[in-house]
Amino acid sequence: MEGAEPPTLPPQMFTTSAQLLDLTDKKLLVALRDGRKLIGVLRSWDQASHGKIITTKRLNSSDFFLCLGFTAAANLVLQSTVERLYVNDAYCDIQRGVFIVRGENVLLLGEIDLDREDDIPFRQASVEEVFAGQRLADAEKKHKDKVHRKKLRALGFEDEGEVLV
Amino acid sequence: MLVELKNGETLNGHLVNCDTWMNLTLKEVVQTSPEGDKFFRLAECYVRGNNIKYLRVPDEIIDLVKETQAQNTRDNHGQRGGQGGRGGHQGRGDRGGRRGSGGGRGRGRGGGDRQ
Repeated sequence: MEGAEPPTLPPQMFTTSAQLLDLTDKKLLVALRDGRKLIGVLRSWDQASHGKIITTKRLNSSDFFLCLGFTAAANLVLQSTVERLYVNDAYCDIQRGVFIVRGENVLLLGEIDLDREDDIPFRQASVEEVFAGQRLADAEKKHKDKVHRKKLRALGFEDEGEVLV
Repeated sequence: MLVELKNGETLNGHLVNCDTWMNLTLKEVVQTSPEGDKFFRLAECYVRGNNIKYLRVPDEIIDLVKETQAQNTRDNHGQRGGQGGRGGHQGRGDRGGRRGSGGGRGRGRGGGDRQ
């Protein structure tokens, strides 16, 4: 690869630390792998060494390029965090304060458009209402799963046990 | 501080020590089961970093980090010099110090990546 300019890759391929730098001190939505949604101001982050090679590319017969895309395994520090819970058409916010999220638990994150953040097709409800709704939805889902598994068993499928989360 | 593990368990306690892998030792811990229905009191516990989902810390930490960072730049202009030793402090100073160094590293590398 002497002399030749390395090919430029489309920037949207990676969530690099440069992009995190742009998001610092901005209001973000962070979705965790367990389904939680956190809304807070990104104050700090580090680049933990859990980077993954997401693509390797062969350009011509002699050249191999490793495209080292470090997936966003950065630990995040969020300030003034609220946890937002949804059920049906309702949502509620719970104040949570300062969060240090271990990077590997982050599913996605993105900046919130402050001009449009209140412009959402959900109505704000009380914490109690959303909790009650969630309990109801959970029970319903559990029941549905049970029926589903029963039917599968009748067809000769191995039972995979109760679905968690 | 509050530590939530990947399995949903939470640990409420005072941070005694930590390292760069996010391994933690806590004292005076209250452990809560994932369903939030069972509680255990532990005098001390060790958490291997990879089991952590997130940490919740008091709001004052952010101000403390700013202070500690300012202090450090005053104390040692070489920036890197003091960081290794800071992990050994106890209590609040330790917490502030760790996040402080984390933030510093993040921004530094961010600049490097863009080149």
